[in-house]
Amino acid sequence: MSRIGVFICHCGENISRTVDVERVAQVTARLPGVAIALDYKYMCSDPGQNLLKKAVAEHKLDGVVVAACSPRMHEKTFRNAARAAGLNPFLCEMANIREHCSWVHEDREEATAKAIDIVKFTVSRVKKDRALAPITVPITKRALVIGGGIAGIQAALDIADAGHQVVLVEREPSIGGHMAQLSETFPTLDCSQCIMTPKMVDVANHPNIKLYTWSEIEEVSGYIGNFQVTVRRKARSVDEDKCTGCGVCMAKCPQKKIDNAFDRNLGTRPAIYVPFPQAVPNTPVIDRDNCTRFKTGKCGVCEKVCGPGAIDYGQQDQLIVEPVGAIVVASGFDLYNIGPKPADSPYEGYGEFGYGAIPDVIDGLTFERLASASGPTGGKILRPSDGKEPKQVVFIQCVGSRAREKGISYCSKICCMYTAKHTMLYKHKIHDGQAYVFFMDARTPGKNYDEFWRRAVEEEEAVYIRGMVSRLYQKGDKVVVMGSDVLVGVQVEIEADLVVLATAVQARTGADLLAQKLGISYDRYNFYSEAHAKLKPVECATAGIYLAGACQGPKDIPDTVSQASAAAAKVMTLFAKDQLEREPIVARVNERNCAGCLACKKVCPYGAVEEKEIRDRNGNLIKTVAYVNPGVCGGCGTCQATCPSKSVELDGYTDEQIMAMIEAL
Amino acid sequence: MSPNRKFALSYSYYPGCSLHASAKEYDVSTKGVFNALRIGLKEVPDWFCCGATPAHNVDELLSLALCAKNLSLAGKVEGDLAVACAACFSRLKTTQHRLKENDIKRKQVETAIDGPVPLGKKVKHLLEILAKDFGLDKLEGAVQKPLTGLKIACYYGCLLTRPPEVPELDDCEAPTIMENVIKAVGGEPVAWSHRLECCGANFTLSRPGVILKLSNEILASAKDAGADCIMVACPLCHGNLDIRQEEIEQATGRRYGMPVFYITQLVGLACGVSPLRLGLESMIVSPAALLREKNLL
Ligand SMILES: Cc1cc2nc3c(=O)[nH]c(=O)nc-3n(C[C@H](O)[C@H](O)[C@H](O)COP(=O)(O)OP(=O)(O)OC[C@H]3O[C@@H](n4cnc5c(N)ncnc54)[C@H](O)[C@@H]3O)c2cc1C
Repeated sequence: MSRIGVFICHCGENISRTVDVERVAQVTARLPGVAIALDYKYMCSDPGQNLLKKAVAEHKLDGVVVAACSPRMHEKTFRNAARAAGLNPFLCEMANIREHCSWVHEDREEATAKAIDIVKFTVSRVKKDRALAPITVPITKRALVIGGGIAGIQAALDIADAGHQVVLVEREPSIGGHMAQLSETFPTLDCSQCIMTPKMVDVANHPNIKLYTWSEIEEVSGYIGNFQVTVRRKARSVDEDKCTGCGVCMAKCPQKKIDNAFDRNLGTRPAIYVPFPQAVPNTPVIDRDNCTRFKTGKCGVCEKVCGPGAIDYGQQDQLIVEPVGAIVVASGFDLYNIGPKPADSPYEGYGEFGYGAIPDVIDGLTFERLASASGPTGGKILRPSDGKEPKQVVFIQCVGSRAREKGISYCSKICCMYTAKHTMLYKHKIHDGQAYVFFMDARTPGKNYDEFWRRAVEEEEAVYIRGMVSRLYQKGDKVVVMGSDVLVGVQVEIEADLVVLATAVQARTGADLLAQKLGISYDRYNFYSEAHAKLKPVECATAGIYLAGACQGPKDIPDTVSQASAAAAKVMTLFAKDQLEREPIVARVNERNCAGCLACKKVCPYGAVEEKEIRDRNGNLIKTVAYVNPGVCGGCGTCQATCPSKSVELDGYTDEQIMAMIEAL
Repeated sequence: MSPNRKFALSYSYYPGCSLHASAKEYDVSTKGVFNALRIGLKEVPDWFCCGATPAHNVDELLSLALCAKNLSLAGKVEGDLAVACAACFSRLKTTQHRLKENDIKRKQVETAIDGPVPLGKKVKHLLEILAKDFGLDKLEGAVQKPLTGLKIACYYGCLLTRPPEVPELDDCEAPTIMENVIKAVGGEPVAWSHRLECCGANFTLSRPGVILKLSNEILASAKDAGADCIMVACPLCHGNLDIRQEEIEQATGRRYGMPVFYITQLVGLACGVSPLRLGLESMIVSPAALLREKNLL
């Protein structure tokens, strides 16, 4: 006969408001095999846990049921308490009477009856629990960081400084991300390049960082502590070891008329290029789609002029496998485009703003390039259409953000601040110019943020108009902005020389594909999902994978850097141990019964099932059976449901246990 | 003989009040064009006012019931429902949209009109019929006198494409359907800024000052864009731009002399409908000189 203890939690009032916890205790105390049933206000508190420990000792319990919240919340807590009381922790199970009962029901009678049922079947399950020992797996103490924006750079440097190897994979020819494109940054107006480039150089020089630029993630397999990552190094057509970065090839390249994406197409670049002068690494790449040599076979100037002979037209993509123990995803964001909706995008675009066809209507990032000392105009704010200095500039906030009808209902968080910054940068450069801002709300929480915004309004004389813009159209060389001022209650029309749109921060195009390779989840906007909105903000639900920066949601630099360091700290915590302890809730094969059909191997989503040969003493093959690698098994139970001979079972969820639970109802 | 047997395409037709009064030329030219293109058109018997712009400002149920009753009358005539007036089109489509998404409203309206509302009956604006059902290719093939050299400002007004979820006609803020029709019949649509601005519509009697301002901006931007004339698909817009043009000219001191055509008048001209069957003579700003200059008359 078992001796089971049942502990029913009130969860403050969360459970006791709808469930009569005392009655649950009374009823379950009489179940066969239950030695004691108690209720308590907060089981997870210290006194609550002590109650459990004391009962284990006093009543010599051989199993424990805690009827409280979801096991995702507190299973660990109570299993630790059971262990402290000398019980095998896997003989302690939770009965979820909060999420599965009190929170979703209103009728007290019915909810109480249901809570009793839940406790009943959990008691039946615990009776058939086995004592289990945790599984340990070795940890590869190297980390992969995906994306070399400020988030990836910070995470890589932190982990590398802690003495661990880091593989940093960046898709573009240089690291830097969006921050490299910014002019000066709020809230202090320090130059982005000045604070960014030293960090980029640190990455390049760090002995613990292996930098792969112009590279992408091809495939990811394995699990926490033991990932195998295949990286595709795209053909650069330039030998990185030989290139000295002298730049002669770029100067002599005859094809110089290619839109420079880094400068938001305001300037041009050659076919062999680095995206910007401070690029890291300073090794150019040949843009094969636009290179005359690759298009017609008739050029080869760069090869001729390259002193060290670094040009290699025959270079091929290379696939490299890197074993790592943890992954930090830092792939950043894209900006909303007001152009017409592409077929594969959920976003509508702005027909009322001309769908991006008016040349002097630009976005905030383009304005950053205009204002940047290293930009295409050398830091002079000149409008794209005719290169004139704009004397009236209208800034429009919330373009695409907080606009449900356009597909995005969230706030992009950074635009109020960078628009205020833009009005200042503008005023600092064009003293007699006037900036207008159309805004819905000015959202400026953050240290020194509201002060910054007030400065834009009070000292730099930006005129803030609360209201939205209904239409932009070209009239002569002006852009007419039709909007409303909802505070005064009038229609406003401004003839602007330049219009700057604070377009929404959106997830990277293709962010979903990367997530699928990594096996991490993402929200309806394709931003990556953290494991818990409050308590696990940098962890993914997939163990061993962490998030940093704007790939998780709109973020400014301070938040991005904090999150990147937090993700790095999580990686270091993982690497602090040599072995990783894993829950032993894994599938086991009964080798005697297994017929070796390997149906389980086909259905296993984790690739945990291997073939195992069973041989006699003389080495003759007797049969082949399935073997579940406990390090890889995710404990989903799919194999158990599939096995035709019932030869594989998940510990803690065996068929016998599940049948017993059903019978208890 | 039923029109359905005579023509490959055939519609029930809701002209709306304006087309029997101030916008007779729209009705006449619609029939002229449809006849020329051999598209059947059968007027809904006993139709009445859709409530237009006033009703829904006063009482939503009334405005829905007026349209619902008309839809139910239209349900008795075969074919999708062709509508010429942008306001009627908007009201009829809005009614269907509202009643489809709101069961309670639908039941109230059904009680009010004592019968079901045919929510599946397709309501189509003439533009849609010409551009989509009949098709631009066939329209091009039907042209006898292309509108070569005629620079036309296609004016949608505010109702034809809005709100985005209701008319299902074209891109709500950057439509091209009118321009496409004009190109098919050989005209030259101009690029201009005020294609979708409001003309003031029903303020025409209550606050004429508003009309003067809004309609003046439309005329001015069409003129500045180099247009010879404006083309509309709504009798309310027509009233403001054509009938009030002289008043606007007096108030602003700028002379426009800009004929304002209905789409069916221009398509009719191109497809060889006799000018006498297009109601050109009822236009206040006479198009005669312009059309003669372009050899279209
Ligand atoms: C107009 C504008 C002005 C701003 N001004 C300020 C300011 O003044 N102050 C401030 O604090 N913040 C500002 N920000 C916000 C700032 O840009 C972001 O906080 C910051 O860039 C986020 O960094 P990140 O590394 O997360 O993303 P990103 O900068 O987007 O970097 C991501 C990197 O990952 C790479 N990558 C993407 N996908 C892959 C892949 N699949 N494989 C490999 N690599 C990949 C990208 O190429 C990129 O290098 C501004 C933003 C904008 C748009």
